[in-house]
Amino acid sequence: MAKKYGMIHDNNLCIGCQACSVACRSENKIPESVYRLQVWVKQEEYPNGQLGYEYHRQSCVQCENTPCVSVCPTKASHVNEEGIVLVDVDLCVGCLYCVAACPYQARYVHPVTKAPDKCTFCHESRLSRGEEPACVTVCPTDALVFGDLNDPKSKINKVLSEKVTYRQKETLGTNPKMFIVPNHKGGINS
Amino acid sequence: MTQVLSRRGFIKLSSTAAAVASLSSIPGTLGAMDESQKQLKGNAKFTPSICEMCTSSCTIEARVEDGKGMFIRGNPADKGRGGKVCARGSAGFNQLYDPQRLVKPIMRVGERGEGKWKEVSWDEAYTFIAKKLEEIKQKHGAHTVAFTARSGWTKTWFHNLAQAYGSNNLFGHEATCPLAYDLAMDDIFDNGISRDFAKAKYIINPSHNVFEGIVISYARQYMEAIEHGAKVISLDPRFSTMSAKATEWHPIKPGHDLPFVLGFMHTLIHENLYNKKFVEKYCEGFEELKASLAEYTPEKMATECDIPAEVIKRMAREFAKAAPKAIFDFCHRVTLTPQELELRRAIMMCNVLVGAVEQEGGYYLNKGAGFYNKFLGENDAKAPVLKKPKIPAYPKVEFPRIDRIGEKDSEFFLAKKGNGIVTLIPKATLEDIPGVPYRLHGWFIARNNPVMTQSNTEMVIKAIKAMDLVVVHDIQVSDTAWFADIVLPDTTYLERDEEFTASGGKNPSYAVGRQKVVEPIGESRPGWRVAKELAEKMGLSAYFPYKDIEDYRLQQVGDNIDLLAKLKATGMASFGVPLLLQDKKSVAEFVKKYPSAASKVNEEGTIDFPHKIKLFSPELEAVSKKGALSYEPYKYKEADELYFINGKSAVRTNGHNGNNAWLNNLCDDAAVWIHPKTAERLGIKNGDNINVYNKYSTQKGKALVTKGVREDTVFAYFGFGHISKELKRAYGKGVNSNALYSPLVSPNSGMNLHVVGVKVAKA
Repeated sequence: MAKKYGMIHDNNLCIGCQACSVACRSENKIPESVYRLQVWVKQEEYPNGQLGYEYHRQSCVQCENTPCVSVCPTKASHVNEEGIVLVDVDLCVGCLYCVAACPYQARYVHPVTKAPDKCTFCHESRLSRGEEPACVTVCPTDALVFGDLNDPKSKINKVLSEKVTYRQKETLGTNPKMFIVPNHKGGINS
Repeated sequence: MTQVLSRRGFIKLSSTAAAVASLSSIPGTLGAMDESQKQLKGNAKFTPSICEMCTSSCTIEARVEDGKGMFIRGNPADKGRGGKVCARGSAGFNQLYDPQRLVKPIMRVGERGEGKWKEVSWDEAYTFIAKKLEEIKQKHGAHTVAFTARSGWTKTWFHNLAQAYGSNNLFGHEATCPLAYDLAMDDIFDNGISRDFAKAKYIINPSHNVFEGIVISYARQYMEAIEHGAKVISLDPRFSTMSAKATEWHPIKPGHDLPFVLGFMHTLIHENLYNKKFVEKYCEGFEELKASLAEYTPEKMATECDIPAEVIKRMAREFAKAAPKAIFDFCHRVTLTPQELELRRAIMMCNVLVGAVEQEGGYYLNKGAGFYNKFLGENDAKAPVLKKPKIPAYPKVEFPRIDRIGEKDSEFFLAKKGNGIVTLIPKATLEDIPGVPYRLHGWFIARNNPVMTQSNTEMVIKAIKAMDLVVVHDIQVSDTAWFADIVLPDTTYLERDEEFTASGGKNPSYAVGRQKVVEPIGESRPGWRVAKELAEKMGLSAYFPYKDIEDYRLQQVGDNIDLLAKLKATGMASFGVPLLLQDKKSVAEFVKKYPSAASKVNEEGTIDFPHKIKLFSPELEAVSKKGALSYEPYKYKEADELYFINGKSAVRTNGHNGNNAWLNNLCDDAAVWIHPKTAERLGIKNGDNINVYNKYSTQKGKALVTKGVREDTVFAYFGFGHISKELKRAYGKGVNSNALYSPLVSPNSGMNLHVVGVKVAKA
């Protein structure tokens, strides 16, 4: 069966250190003014009065029903056979419909190519070498789990079976392959 | 779209790094060099090495990609760090290629701190330094030149140079960082100790913020403990990432951790929660300790530290119950009180009192080769000990050091000479210190940035300006280099080979030091080479009996070529099996591996401690009447002031990496945390420009209004407000916390103090 790549971001394990963001920049040679991935840290006061930090991974969530691909007039935005949403720069005419259509604000315009760019799970740089995405490789506290959702024995499926997860804006029907383990401190136990 | 398409074609031909515009006009920087010289010549396969973005020295490996990029990750062979790096570690490539990086020696042509430089050749630089050093030697004596080398590797080269030249004033960075706990463990255990966080069930954490001041192995271990359900108590005036992950957060009053610990110990002893058997068998000085604690009831201490007596007592009970899987974390850099040594000793004694030493989930003694070999029998193979090249005897110095370490009555007697009390240098330059019949006249500084990292910036700069000679070896024009006479360009850690190192956790370990991933850029030169070449210029080459670093390493391993090969290939090696002296299972496995060690095992199936653990220090008693524990209230601030404290951020740590483009991009200014009630009282809103000021300095910053800090406290991240204008990204942005701190040098430990009183007002 073809692979279907997905990822888990565990809010309990994440410490917001930005190792993922910098490793992504380093591996994918992202210009300084833009990013494919950041972790946004927000202080919360929970209903029980406790303080906490919420960690939001701001990057492409690799939808299965992809608004960015649907709106692309030239098929520059496409989903490959492993379920990864990609942009073919040579087919792009720069209409930026995809940037507007993405409900997750995951796309930016690359300052040099002027074409939209986004997280590719390091498809072009690392997956072909059999390596995990840069962010997963460096994460100091193992807050990121990457793997093949079609492989019942994969680590990602094991974690998905053990921990409560949700996906962002699920009601839109985009069916993201980025799963989030919510913070225990918020009162949700998994 | 035509323009876009042509741009696309262009980018295929050029690299991102080369596309970075060169705006630099400073002589000697990479930005001032010809673009064509910026070509990465390096290994496309992963080379194991050690990170140097901060001082945690995590194991890494790095490879060059397509001759222009680089990817750095943790060394997967290192199980403790799991092959991981933090943001700073990943950003190392950026340091290599920074146009603001120094790649040629520069010499000051204007006043100190004026920023006027000229490029000079290495030979001119060496000639100048050698001449100046000779002049000072003739006029004031060689001992009046202080040599600071940040840590291990740099010390090997520059402390050797210092002593060959005739100075005994050798320093590391320790008194601004870990010194107090190093001294405390030496006093109590006569050995280094580590913390087995991962297996602990109960951890008390006083501001040891390992999730922001990241040490990869600690961060992973803490997280493992938390995942396994360990209870973690965070005592921190600020809501740190550690506080957020902890089970409980108690915003303790700044500077008042010691009374908490004393009240805690009082409960352990007076409620009979301590491990009597352990204390009787392995410790000495318990009665003196008990007597000294009598007056420090939890009730009395509660009003000092602002944590209720019932909570202190509950924690002591929980801690004792969790033992031996219990850790009272002795913390890291944040220095909380002028009684630093007492604080760290008291914390460590808590673990001793409940017997949580040398068992899983507690403290354990560091077992380097020498220590580990003690427990092996005659017929067992021994852990290799690294050798040092044989060098001639150094000239004898007739004067005491400025910290008087080595004299009988020195209050800093616990500190090693290679660490010293670096915080005393400004004072020893500007004032007469009792028992020190001279002042300092020169400062040679390798990979250290005292203008940024020592408390009371004004005094440090004043001292530097009073010197006859200031030399800095660094990769950039650091805040200290900004005031130097001559700045020598160091290689970054990615271009440098270093000596092998040996250390020990539960068993002995060895590391490659650093290995070159790429050839040095420009004319940058590593420390081993600079010290050796300068020594040659000074006629001291006999003290450097090695051709190069490769030759040095060969002399270190002797005939153990296997060790050499293993270190170069994998970056690390270890010897034997883990050993915890008080853990029967561990001892049994140790004896299985080394049968003749059986003679060391006692009737209980464990191994006795080689020395008694000291709960009272006769040496400290003799020198300073501080053998037991005591609490001396200290006035940190005036009644109308707020406490000011600092801490580390995950993307910029210490004075070294704030100008790194990628890291600076993530955090270019550090806001000052202020409680909503305090902000309201002062008429300050979130995001307002504010002044933070006291008698030492006025610092400009932005307010972050948050409940994550006590009402009587303001907090800022450390490593901001850089002073060197050559650090263009970081210059002048954010509050420089050390500018606000007092020049206090704590008794016995020499630590600076990181709590001070400030006022805050809308700018």
